[in-house]
Amino acid sequence: MLSNWQTEIVKRSEIGPYLPEAEFERALTRLVPELVRKHGIHYDPQVLIPSDDDMADRLYQAGMDLFLEMGAYNMSTERRILFSRGEVEEAVAAAPSAVRLGEGKDAVVMCWRGVESQVPCVVHSGPTGTPCSERYHPLILQSCAQEPLVDCLGAGSVSTYMGRPIIPGSPLEILGVQRDAAAAREAARRAGRPGIHINDVASPLTCAGKMAALHPAWGLRRSDALLVSQLPELKTNYDQLSRAAYLQAAGVHIVDLMTPLVGGLGGGAAGTAVVTVACHLLGVMLYSPSYHIYGHMHLLESTDTDRMGLWVYAVGGQALARNTPLLTTTAVYTQAGLGTEEVLWEIAAGTLAGTVAGMHHNGVGATGGSTPDHTSGLEHRFYAQVAHASLGVSRQTANGLVLEILRHYEGSHKDPPPGVPFPQLYEIETLEPLGPWLDLHQRVLDELAAMGLDVHGAWRKVRRERGL
Amino acid sequence: MRSNWLPEIVQRSETGPFVQEPEFDRLLTQTVRALVREHGLKFDPQDLVPSDDGLADRLYRAGVELLAQMGAYNQSTERRILLSRAEIEEAVAAAPSAVVLGEGKDAVVERHRGVESEIPCVMHSGPTGTPCSEMLHPFILQSCAQEPLVDCLGHGSVPSYLGEAIVAGSPQEILAARHQASLAREAVRRAGRPGMHIEDNAVSLTCAGKMASLDPEAGLRPSDGLLVAQIPELKTNYDQLSRVAHLRSLGMHIVNLITPLVGGLGGGAEGTAVVTVASHLLGALAYSASYHFMGHMHLLRSINTDRMGLWIQAVSAQALARNTPLVVVNDIYAASGLGTTDLLWEVAAGAIVGAVCGTHQHGTGATAGRETDHTSGLEARFQAQVAHAALGRSRREANGLVLECLRHYEEHLATPNLGRPFSEVYDVETLEPRPWWLEAFHEVGGALDGHELDVHHAWRRVRHDR
Amino acid sequence: MTDERLAARLKDALRSGDASAAETAARKALEAQADPLDLIRNVLVPTLTEVGKQFQEFEIFLPELMAAGDAAKAATVILEQAIAAAGKASSSLGTVVLGTVQNDVHDIGKNIVSTLLSSHGFRVVDIGRDVAPSAFLEAARREKAEIVAMSALMTTTRPAAQSTIRLFEEVEARDDFKIIVGGGSIDAAWAKAIGADGYAPDAASAVDLCRRLVGR
Repeated sequence: MLSNWQTEIVKRSEIGPYLPEAEFERALTRLVPELVRKHGIHYDPQVLIPSDDDMADRLYQAGMDLFLEMGAYNMSTERRILFSRGEVEEAVAAAPSAVRLGEGKDAVVMCWRGVESQVPCVVHSGPTGTPCSERYHPLILQSCAQEPLVDCLGAGSVSTYMGRPIIPGSPLEILGVQRDAAAAREAARRAGRPGIHINDVASPLTCAGKMAALHPAWGLRRSDALLVSQLPELKTNYDQLSRAAYLQAAGVHIVDLMTPLVGGLGGGAAGTAVVTVACHLLGVMLYSPSYHIYGHMHLLESTDTDRMGLWVYAVGGQALARNTPLLTTTAVYTQAGLGTEEVLWEIAAGTLAGTVAGMHHNGVGATGGSTPDHTSGLEHRFYAQVAHASLGVSRQTANGLVLEILRHYEGSHKDPPPGVPFPQLYEIETLEPLGPWLDLHQRVLDELAAMGLDVHGAWRKVRRERGL
Repeated sequence: MRSNWLPEIVQRSETGPFVQEPEFDRLLTQTVRALVREHGLKFDPQDLVPSDDGLADRLYRAGVELLAQMGAYNQSTERRILLSRAEIEEAVAAAPSAVVLGEGKDAVVERHRGVESEIPCVMHSGPTGTPCSEMLHPFILQSCAQEPLVDCLGHGSVPSYLGEAIVAGSPQEILAARHQASLAREAVRRAGRPGMHIEDNAVSLTCAGKMASLDPEAGLRPSDGLLVAQIPELKTNYDQLSRVAHLRSLGMHIVNLITPLVGGLGGGAEGTAVVTVASHLLGALAYSASYHFMGHMHLLRSINTDRMGLWIQAVSAQALARNTPLVVVNDIYAASGLGTTDLLWEVAAGAIVGAVCGTHQHGTGATAGRETDHTSGLEARFQAQVAHAALGRSRREANGLVLECLRHYEEHLATPNLGRPFSEVYDVETLEPRPWWLEAFHEVGGALDGHELDVHHAWRRVRHDR
Repeated sequence: MTDERLAARLKDALRSGDASAAETAARKALEAQADPLDLIRNVLVPTLTEVGKQFQEFEIFLPELMAAGDAAKAATVILEQAIAAAGKASSSLGTVVLGTVQNDVHDIGKNIVSTLLSSHGFRVVDIGRDVAPSAFLEAARREKAEIVAMSALMTTTRPAAQSTIRLFEEVEARDDFKIIVGGGSIDAAWAKAIGADGYAPDAASAVDLCRRLVGR
């Protein structure tokens, strides 16, 4: 068992096998289909939440084989960082199965859940790194932080500073990050939850930018977290590794963000599921994260609520839940915009798939994260309500529900309703959702209840029994 | 008067005139040459500490003119950040003329001094970002921090982490930066001066690396400083400017490090002096510096204790002392190594120039900063004693003294005596200087006494009156 | 044989760093039937050697050196054209790919080496600063270089020189090029330790080193 991984990773980055990036990608595209075949991983668009334990386990093995064979690619040195099976298995086994997020009375414990688990999900709100305008960002944050069913706050990203576009790596990035971190801290304070876990400041693109978010008084703290990213697929670089080193040394939670692309280098759903499992292993080895964001997305649409996306959640989640102690979370990226019925149906589908597959929830990105200010507290309230109602639901039942839910949005999936941004959905002084948005929320809840999902009662039960 | 400079600097970096770097360099050499001529600046190798106020003021105007004509070059965007004369003059006038360095009872006030000033110099010790070994760096730091006449602590550049060479920009840099920052904190704590100002973490090469050294308990704090560098000549980049953004927001001291190269793009002594002045102005405006390190050095030898280096320090310091409120610190780079009398003569020459011409004192980079572990507390003690003894001396007297110092080492500058590293001049357990190093110290101190520089007593008076 | 008077004019133009005068002098000499190769070997190179020496002695400074280099470059272009037009082989002593190692942004030293090498008849491909190991490799192959020269100023960046050499070894390209190192943080011992073919403490000796390596 190696105790000093970070220096070892630099060493392996420097002396591992050299390979131009394009060749690494080619090798990956050849290997993934081989593993899919060898391990018999089949995607069935009618069974989006398979109840096949064996396939979940085979998928895990395929992911392990992929990671061991390819290693992680360090783009800074153009070399592969290789690990032995023993090293990976040991590190995964030693990964945390429960973490305390936030501090004081606002802290929550996120623990390993397992397939079809009764253990309640921890629900983070957005903005999940999705864009917000300088003007509305503080209000959006507060609308999320004040939601009683939201356990942790995402800090979002703002692309301007005092009206000027932020150039990555420039002083404006530092200044913008500090402003956004302070806005998140202030939102938590105003919501009366000063110790709530803040799970990133998403504006920065550099290591220095991420580091600028930390400050004991006004910024992010040890009880908060910052994301360290993988580059698709199975790639990292020294900038990302340096973030991990810093956060680890400073005792701040690290979140492993991966964004495997469905239809990308991993191929279709089956291949992307293999890549996603491998990414979790990579995250463990390189980043020592507290938890992971399971952020696969459609290559062209950047969303994950289509059939393939839901299936990848369901099988990858199960593979990890059955074979590791890891804590992983959904990041539901929808086609539809805020303020539409479709966005809520998409959220419901993603939440169900993730919950029964053993995951927690990291927030919603409406419009695939492309349109500014498409985040509010209300859809996260909904997200939590569905998650809590899905506890203990069997995979088979969940599959039936997801197929039914899909009927509500699949037809318009390619041409989704754009919705409207935050200031048209919330009263921006009282910070309460406006009538029409609340009505939509109520209507979809009622329909879900009619399908047999106890969205009205389950969260009450969870609160009562959770004993926080 | 502009209140929000950084976003504006980014804006100008993005929209200023595009010019490739070699073209900027060429333009700079031409501009400097013209300004030297126009302002009648003349280097006299016999008059290293000129008493000519007119020369100092003309030099200052040439520096302003250079910055106003060239602007600064942002290497990240390959564009010039143009600044008007009024903007430069206003920003410089509004710069701090006194800063509190360190905290609690270990804090000192570093103030603008003026020419031939009676205000005592603040003494920063080495290491001046010079190379130190992982093994000895903690001892070197402590040997400096424990010197009673040292007010602020420097920091060394340590090229390894847990025995492995640090790959810049990798996690090793972050981990090493945090580790070495904590060693500096530990050194001042052990020296019984926990609030002493630590001026930098010299291990880091990147913005993230610098930021990693901040830690309220174990690392650097707002009462400490971090260096933001200019790249010779009059160049910066987003990595440096981003440091400014972060440090400003944290209320941390920013140190403007300039290293104009004598014989480089500015040409000879006169041109480099013009560049040196301009670089201070740029640091005041673009970096919001608390204080400035005047680190010009010989292009080939990386020292500034030769005639040209000393003259540049003397005239640039006077130009800045007479025309700005800036707090300037000299940054002596000597050819000789630790344990030699030559080194102490070089230190004396640099210290006298600074004390008389208006700078504070920075410890020495011995062996031109090339050899590892060539810093100790003793040469900083010596430098402080010389600086305190030189207070209030006239420039003319100082010139005589400096020429006398030069007599002792000038002919060795090309082939200097590299002396011995820290572990051979200090007892690494008791952390006291070894006899031969002390003997050299007493020998040169005694010789300076003979030239009516009261190195043995002046510091007592300074302490008493302070 | 080159007309003494015209040769002297070219020399003066080079020494004073006057690029357009150097260009004119080169043209005039060619018009007077001077052999371009002879001009390069017996006027350009010795004059620039002398200028380099003056710089090393600090009798002149970087601006003068740069200007002389620029003037030499301008004259070389004219003379090389004449050589090519006559169907003769280029006068180049060889190609040097030159850069500052990864993460090192200091390039004044490298620029001086570049100036001196090109004014001594090498074809210099300057690939700038903060150069990744694979970029050195790619440039060396593309330019069919004889020599790869790396500079590192900081002790914290010099490990990148080692990484670069390692990469050349791994892709079995090590024997195709001579690899040399220099710069503030590097000394002969380190150069030897990382398996470089040569080390030069300053720009003038870098020229000697390159000449030795290409057998000229």
